[in-house]
This record gives sequence, C-alpha cells and structure tokens, in this order.
Amino acid sequence: MALSLLKFLTRRVLHAIPMILGLVTLVFFVSRLLPGDPASLYVSPGIPLRVAEQLRAQFGLDRSLWIQYLSWLSSTLRGELGYSFAHNAPVRDVLLRVFPNTLLLGATALVLECILAFVLAALAVRTAGSRFDRSLSKLTLVAYSLPSFWVGILLLSLFSFSLRIFPPSQMHSVGAEQLGGLAAFGDLLKHLALPALTVATPGIAAIARYLRTSMTETMRQDHVVAAIGMGLSGGRVFRSYILPNSVGPVISVIGVEIGVLLTGVLVSETLFAWPGMGRLAVMAIFSRDYPMILGCTLSGGALVVAANIVADFVRAWIDPRIRLT
Amino acid sequence: MRPWACVIPALVLSLAVPGCGTKKENGSGVPHRPAVVIAIAGDVDSFNPLFAEDITAGEINDLLFPALVSSAFDRNSGELRYAPLLARSWEYAGQDRDIVFHLIPSARWTDGTPVTARDVQLTYELYGDPDVASVRQGAVDNLRRTGGKLDIRKSVEVRDDSTVCFHFARAYPGQLFDAGLPILPAHILGNLPRKAIRTDPVNKSPVGFGPFSLTRWTPLQEIVLQPNPESVVPYPAKLSQLILRIIPDYRSRLSQLQSGDVDLVSGVRPEDADKLAGDAHDVEIISTPGRDYDFLGWNNIEIEDHAGPSPATIRPHRLFGSKNVRRALTMAINRDELVHAYLGKHGQVAFGGISPLFKWAYDDSLKPLPFDPQGSRELLRREGWKDTGGDGILVRNNVRFSFVLKVPAGDQLRTVVAAAVQQQLKQVKIDMKIEQVERATFWQEVTTRKYDAWLAGFSVPLQMQLDDLWGSDLAKYPFNLTGFRNARVDSIFAAARNLKSETDGAALWKEFQRIVHEEQPCTFLYWINNIVAVNRGVLGTRIGVLGTMHNAWEWHVGDAGRADASTSH
Repeated sequence: MALSLLKFLTRRVLHAIPMILGLVTLVFFVSRLLPGDPASLYVSPGIPLRVAEQLRAQFGLDRSLWIQYLSWLSSTLRGELGYSFAHNAPVRDVLLRVFPNTLLLGATALVLECILAFVLAALAVRTAGSRFDRSLSKLTLVAYSLPSFWVGILLLSLFSFSLRIFPPSQMHSVGAEQLGGLAAFGDLLKHLALPALTVATPGIAAIARYLRTSMTETMRQDHVVAAIGMGLSGGRVFRSYILPNSVGPVISVIGVEIGVLLTGVLVSETLFAWPGMGRLAVMAIFSRDYPMILGCTLSGGALVVAANIVADFVRAWIDPRIRLT
Repeated sequence: MRPWACVIPALVLSLAVPGCGTKKENGSGVPHRPAVVIAIAGDVDSFNPLFAEDITAGEINDLLFPALVSSAFDRNSGELRYAPLLARSWEYAGQDRDIVFHLIPSARWTDGTPVTARDVQLTYELYGDPDVASVRQGAVDNLRRTGGKLDIRKSVEVRDDSTVCFHFARAYPGQLFDAGLPILPAHILGNLPRKAIRTDPVNKSPVGFGPFSLTRWTPLQEIVLQPNPESVVPYPAKLSQLILRIIPDYRSRLSQLQSGDVDLVSGVRPEDADKLAGDAHDVEIISTPGRDYDFLGWNNIEIEDHAGPSPATIRPHRLFGSKNVRRALTMAINRDELVHAYLGKHGQVAFGGISPLFKWAYDDSLKPLPFDPQGSRELLRREGWKDTGGDGILVRNNVRFSFVLKVPAGDQLRTVVAAAVQQQLKQVKIDMKIEQVERATFWQEVTTRKYDAWLAGFSVPLQMQLDDLWGSDLAKYPFNLTGFRNARVDSIFAAARNLKSETDGAALWKEFQRIVHEEQPCTFLYWINNIVAVNRGVLGTRIGVLGTMHNAWEWHVGDAGRADASTSH
C-alpha cells in the first residue's frame, strides 16, 4: 500500500510540474500584454519622468521578456518566487504571511460546504419527491448559478449593513490582540462567517445536488434493498451502506470544487478585506505587480493540483475497489 | 456523546462572549484607551519617504519623519505659510538664494542618536540620487550646481551639528517648500548601498523622530502608531494610539463609521455626506474646497502628432482642433446641473485650471461659459459643422462629429456624468459613445495620449507650478494631455518661476486663466470638495487642504469619542 501510494504521489506530482509550469509561463506572457507596467504607476504630475525610467532599470523591466522570464524562473527555483514591486519584499515572504489566512478561509468554506451539503442532501433524500425536495432542488440550482460577488454583497447588506450582526471587513477587531482565548476565537469567527459563507455557497449547492443524486442511486442498489429487507434500522443502513457508497464520487467533485472555491476566495477576500492571497492577486493585477501575479498563480495552481491528489487518495481510501494509478 | 454536540455550543458561546460584541462592552478586561481609528482604502506602499507615493503613506511618514519646516494653508489668503519644526529658525542669505536653518539641538531619533545637520544633508543626497530612484527627486532640481553638476554636499552645506545651509540656484517662491521634505536617519540609511535602500527591511521598521512611532504594521490589515515619548519635534502625540484600518470597500468604511467602530473616513461621496449628517449625530462632516477637478479632455491635436518629429508638423485635431468647437462643446454641457445633481454643496463649476482655494491667484472676475445649446449650435455651424448626413449628426468634409469618450472603469461619479454629457451633446447633434477602461490601462493610455476624448481628474499642486499640465513642450510635459500649446502661457510660467514671492505672480496667473478660458483646451467640469466624516469626540483636528492627519499629534479624544478601542470590529 505504502509503495503504491508513493508511486501514485510521484506520478501525479511529475504530471503536475509541466502543467503548472505551462500555466505560469502563459500567465507571465499574457500579463505583459496589459498596458503599463509597475513603473508607470510612478508617472504622475510632480514626479520627474526620469524616475519611472530609473525604476524600470531597478526592477529589470528594461531587459528582454525572455531574460525577465528566465530570471523569474531561476528566482522561483531558489524558492523566492521573484520580488514584489508593490510590497518591496520577496513574493515568497508576502505569500507566506497571508497564506494561512487564505487557508483558514478556504478550509472553513470547505467544511461548511461539506456539512451543509450533507445535511441538505440527506433531507432531500428522506423527503424524495416531496414539495420540499423539489424546492430544495430549485434552490440549490439558483444558489449554484449566483455569482460569488453577488452573494457576498447580499450577505454584506443584510448581515453587516442592515442587521449589524457580523462585521463587514477584516479578520480581527481593533485591539483583538489583547483579547484572550475564547473571546479572540469568537472575534475571529465573527469576521470569518460572511466571507466563508460567500465562498461556500456555490459549493454547498453543487455538492448537495451530486450527493443527493448519488445517494438516490445507491438506495436503489440490491445490497441496500437487501439490508433494508433484513430489517436493519434506517440509521444503520444509511451509515453502513448508503453513505460509504455515495460519498466516493462526490469526493472527486470536491477535488474539482477546490478550483471554484479559489475563485470564490478571490472575490470574497476582496469584498470583505480579508487579508489573503486572493486580495493580493487582485491588487497585483491592478498594480501590474508581475512577480506577485505569478506567485499567486503558482500557489493557486499548486493548491488545486494538491487538492485533486488528496481527493483521489481519499476516494481510494474510502472505496477499496479504486486503485491508485 | 457525538463530537459535534459539544462543538456547536462552543461556537455559539464564542460568538456570544463579551469582547466581540458592540464597542460599548468591555467585558474582556482590556483597559480603556483613548485611541482614534481611521479607515483607509489601501495599504501603504512604504514607510520610507524616499519611496512612498500614496497620500496616506505620505501623511504617516510626515508624522514619523518631520521636516525642517511645517506648512499650513491660510484659507483667507490662499497661501502656504511655514512655521518652525525641526528647524527652530531660519534666515535668508546670499540675495535670498540661500537659507540657513538652525535645528533643534535636542532632537533624537527613536534609537537615541541625535538628529543633526548631517541627517539633513544625507536626506537630500538620497532624494537626488538616481540610484535611489526617489519619487521626490524633483526637490533637488533647483539646488545650486557646481560646474554644471549637482553636489549635494556643497548645495546642502553642513555648518555644524545644528546648522545647515541650503544653496539654491536662484531665489524662487518654492524654496521653503523644497526644503520641507521629511528628514531621514543618516546613521541608518547612509551605510546601505543606494540601490538596495528600496528593498531594505529598515523601511518596514522605521526609526524616526516625530510625534509618533510605528508600533505595528500588519500588511493588508492595520497600521498602529503610538506617541514617541522622546519627541521634541514638535512634541509627543496626545493620543495613546492612532490606528489605521485598511478597509478597501467604501460601503464597509461608512458602515463602520456609523457603528462607531472607526472614527474617521475620508473621501466620503457627496450623496452620503448629506445622509450621514442627518443620520449619525455623533459624526461631523467636514467638506473642504479641494484641489481636485474633473474635466473632459479634448485632444487639441491629432493623436499621432503628439510624438511628431517637430512642432511645425503638428496638425489640429479633426474634431477638437478649433477653439470655437471646444467652446461650443463646453456651452452644450450644463455644468451647473451636473454640480447640482451630483455634488450639491460639495462642489462648484470649474473653468480656469486654478482652484478657488488660491484666492490670490484665482480670477473671480471670470465667469464659466454659460449653458447655451443654441449658441453652441451656432458656433459649430460657423465652423462648418452641419447636419447634412440626414442621420442627425453633424458632418464637415465628410467627417462625422462622432467620437468615443474614455472613462476609468469603476468610477461611479464619472460614469453618471459621462452619461449626462452624452445626452446633452446629442442635443447639439454630436454623437458621443462611452467606453469604460480598466483604471491602470486608462492612465497608461491617457498619459501616452492615445485617446481623442476622455473624462478624468487632476489635483493641482500646493505650489503654483502648472507647467506639468499646460507647458507647450509635449515631450517634457507628459501631463499636458490635450496637446495645448501657447507661447504666452509658457512665458507666464517662466516669469512666475523667477519671482521671489508666489503672490507677486497674481496678475500672471489671472492672465493664464483668461487664456485657458478663451482657448478651452478642455472642458473643466467641477471642483470637488474633500469630504471627511469624523467622530465628534475626536478633538483638535485641522482637516483641510493639507490632508487629514497633518496635525495628528494635536488630536485628543473628548467625552463623546472612542472610549474603548478594544472591542470594535
């Protein structure tokens, strides 16, 4: 098992490397097609024109594109990921500082997705064919179709601006560093609630729909019918027969959903001023901070690949019929 | 017991515990502190004045690194006045070309090192060094040169530890302004390779000597300043903390102001200012006539001629090349209505490129061109523009009066104003389409003069130096976006540069406004007030032309102010 797992991981990582390299190479050259560069932000009345030229030389933007690309690649291989023009710091340092925040938001959203989707799917299956089931089906379709920024604005308007239940931005209150234990945790949760829900909403809808379909199909299978016929309790049939056989396909979906989740993070972090990688990426695009754009792309790409590998592994672990190849 | 059975109550409990509720509660045991919280839209770019380009960073750096002189804007006369700061006094010498500053001898950097004249000298050496690439490089342009070369050690002469003499190339109105840049620590920055200063970690933990010092900077989250107890320039801040919260979303900034979680928000929109004034009784609205104006840019010359080989080959723009056409465009737009509809009392119609703030220079005898669609049509007809195409659009020499107005995307005010202008120009049979352009792209393309027409804004400098915006040398002045060229205007600029006092140039600047008013290189739309909403409990503010925080060391918190900074969102 350990050997096959190692082989599986090695193969997937080796496959991922050219894919991510292709992605960042594409982003490197496409980002240079945007008008302007980081130095052009310093073209402003009152600032001598020569400053922009001096900065281009300092940033290495006066060199050919290929030289810049190779220079970035070499910096990336050294683990620095280039130097951020806007943050005046190595991209690696800036990303490492905010990555835990993005991870916290993403992980919370993922947990929310799984829990709420499971509850909704179980309710739908129990009431299959009823008005509730049909309404839930329509509701999840609508929720899946809603753009994240719209969901975010809706939540913000309702829970922050109108009801004032949750704070509209940031991840801590002023002076939160002086709060201790449970109070600090509560403060964090309050700030986390709306951004996480914004990110999770489309995922909840998607996973709930997959899970409902998967559960319905499993319930029709002979071994489930036999178990019910043998007089096993509903709860035991659900836990021992329906759930393990329904979750497998959904785990692959969750793997794919990580990519969608990252898009949501981008929107949510910007809207709620959550200090994470998504907000960095948006700022980097507007300020033409090329190394930061690439750093965020690389990290995001690696995260999606890793999530898919983990999803495949978990699926194989749950369902012994699946072999890791 | 199932695990979630205890997790959920714990979560609910943690959300409900005191300390994360409203700011009135203080059950967490955190002591009350008089702090002021300012909401800002973006993070600062650097805590080093050499590199800080954004306004907030500039204001913070001024609190950490005071200058030789402080400035204040006299609203009655419209002039900048200077007062001692690091320099306790100064005198002019050498036919007013030199200024000798006497520093406060007891000033100390936060690491205990004395602040000396050598710091002043090195500061200007760094500002002027091309290897440093400071955004304030222009400050050394008027210093005296030796043999055609700038040698800061001679131009900014250290006479002793507390005496430094600035030798300027000539006497001019902005000498004190140019000598008034933040002073930096020579003992720290002097040892660094010049090209490496921009990236050195010292920029993130600044050693200053001002009324505040930086306590904490959490990127993308907040900046916390606290009083520098050793400061004698001018004295330690009265607040125990000045917290700047980074909240990019405008609505969130307002919401947190209303809930009392922040005390001060700048850049309030006119429509919200009136609402806040009515709804939030503990919030004061300060609306200061500003230096910002919006304008419709008309390219006076053909786009490709901006980079033309010689001025002789420059052709007038096929649509906007004639001043009569530009006047007709202005007359077709009801600027009073725009101001009334979108700015209310927080703006006024603009017409001459000089803010009414500068009372000594502003020509109040001039009146904006009136809204006169009939007169506009007549002017256009006289210029040969007639509706001969049968589609309701003017035509001349087979050229339709049709163009695209570029507007920066995401700018709410400019978007609605563009739509109103579109409707008004339609009344005089001009076809204007609107295209929104991503902001960075917009500025890149507008400053490289790639547009026929655009809607943008400028901020006029505190020093009356308008060459950048209106100088005829298009290669030298990239912000003359319209390609306006006028020899008399150039000579006015040259004459104003050589006056001893800025106000001596009043007649020159009034003549400049009359020329611009006559030529209408662009359609000036409106001056926009700077609107700041501030908690009434924050006392001692002098919010105005110079910014929001420029006297933050004088701020203190009154009874109605923030009593507890520890429990807000």
